[in-house]
Amino acid sequence: MTPIIEVKNFTKRYGDFTAVNDISFSVEEGTIFAFLGPNGAGKSTTINTLCTIFEKTSGTLFIDGKDVTDQKSEVRAAIGVVFQDSTLDAKMTIEENLKMHCVFYHIPKKEVEERIQFVLKLVDLLGERKKPVGALSGGMKRRVEIARGLIHYPKVLFLDEPTTGLDPQTRAHIWEYIIKLQKERNITIFLTTHYMEEAEICNKIAIIDGGTIVAHDTPYALKKMYTKDKAYIATKDETKLEQLLVQYDLEYVKKDGYYKVEAENLDRLLQVLSIHKEDITNIEIRKGTFNDVFLEITGKKIREED
Amino acid sequence: MNTVLALWIRGLKAFIRNKTGLIFSLIFPFFFVYVFGAIFKNDFIENPIAYMLSGVIITTVFESSLNLASSTVDDMVSGFMKEVLVSPAKRIAVAMGQILSAATVSTLQGILILVIGLFIGIKFTHWTTPLYILISMISIGIVFSGVGLFMATKVRNGQTFQIVKTAVTMPLTFLSGAYIPLSMLPGTLRYVAYINPMTYATAFFRMIVLEKTNLSAVELVKEGLAIDINGFIVTPVMSFALILIIGLVFLLLSTISFVKTDFSRLNRSATDANALWG
Repeated sequence: MTPIIEVKNFTKRYGDFTAVNDISFSVEEGTIFAFLGPNGAGKSTTINTLCTIFEKTSGTLFIDGKDVTDQKSEVRAAIGVVFQDSTLDAKMTIEENLKMHCVFYHIPKKEVEERIQFVLKLVDLLGERKKPVGALSGGMKRRVEIARGLIHYPKVLFLDEPTTGLDPQTRAHIWEYIIKLQKERNITIFLTTHYMEEAEICNKIAIIDGGTIVAHDTPYALKKMYTKDKAYIATKDETKLEQLLVQYDLEYVKKDGYYKVEAENLDRLLQVLSIHKEDITNIEIRKGTFNDVFLEITGKKIREED
Repeated sequence: MNTVLALWIRGLKAFIRNKTGLIFSLIFPFFFVYVFGAIFKNDFIENPIAYMLSGVIITTVFESSLNLASSTVDDMVSGFMKEVLVSPAKRIAVAMGQILSAATVSTLQGILILVIGLFIGIKFTHWTTPLYILISMISIGIVFSGVGLFMATKVRNGQTFQIVKTAVTMPLTFLSGAYIPLSMLPGTLRYVAYINPMTYATAFFRMIVLEKTNLSAVELVKEGLAIDINGFIVTPVMSFALILIIGLVFLLLSTISFVKTDFSRLNRSATDANALWG
């Protein structure tokens, strides 16, 4: 099976600055693919080039077998795009925005009404179709944009940070729609995000940092490869625990009254715990998170505030 | 063709929905008619109200069509242009749609003032006059919409754009003979007026509204309807031809520029709208 998105040796330079440096990846049809990275890593540059807005410096980019540089119209007809910032016409109603979109994408007139109903139902906005877009909340606008991005039945839907700036509840809803779409319509979804927990829902992840792809795999494989479970131990007798840990050759970090021990050498850890069990006041095992994966690979946290 | 039509309807809807803008676009012209009509009452203008109104109408058409620059810049800032540009819609159709809707809106504004003007001093004796007026308003509307779109494609900074726009339109309006007769301008400014396309649009339009098409060239100059550049008389017909040529040039330029504009520079952050143009 040929992949629906195929990027080979893609490079984009702005003058002396190299935003994306020789990256290659491919996306299978019907999957959710996430591009992960800190701000300025080259995520948006790549997505904008795939969407035919930016011109590449070198390399080849294909969507559904069509060249992003030479077959712009064909590529544009095959993709739906939801940008980071709203691109809705605020003066018009939801319905008018969708109708305008249908004109741009040459949708036959007799199908327009049916499609509007279908996409608005999908994002639960059927009742608001006559409302002017300017009066909607941020989450509703994003839903309108997703609906609009789908109305021409694209093969690939690009979502550039679809949930940034939305409250947790709305974010969860947006994800419901995304997963529903992938399951029901077999649409390929290409998204960028900097929410780690969202990345775990995807089928494949590429981590991009400083313009190059530093890791590319399933969330499960990445987690397995880059994270370890950790035990957090609190004790009454700190000197004794420290002695034991040294004795059993277990590395530890002391922080906020807890001893953080990596749980990979489970046998030795269990021995320490059984000897020391009388003095333990609290113990907690934490699973590795995607933040750890990211930290491990790039050496920095994805967002400073985390 | 569909794209052109859809954008044309969009422009009209926006015009109709903006009630405040509509009311103010009517208040200003009559304010000018009142003020300048009172100041420049002189003997050789037989109907000062009609004389002023014709100037005001064409200036309104001019300013309103040039406004396409602002609304296109708004469409870029709001992101709507980005949506258009990632769609398979032809850019040339987008440009045509924008120009036609701006030209229509400006013509409608012109008609509104004209209709009110009919009650306060404009009178037609030939049935063909309204037809000619309509044709000239549409043509002048299209010409300056083209200029407006061309300006929009050259914009790199949304805020300086507003200043530049005012700095361009104000002198073009005041040095066109629409409000102040050219004969009252000091020498240097008169030469500026000669290279102002609006001067010719105003002269031609005024001749039609005042129904002076039968006058000789010398009489036209006397009434300020033909422009006398050091003995060379630009007749209204020549004026109209001149406007059409300027229009064609700008239509071509703006369309080419719109199709070619590298919108990859459009990088907008929600907090800093200015970054878009930087």
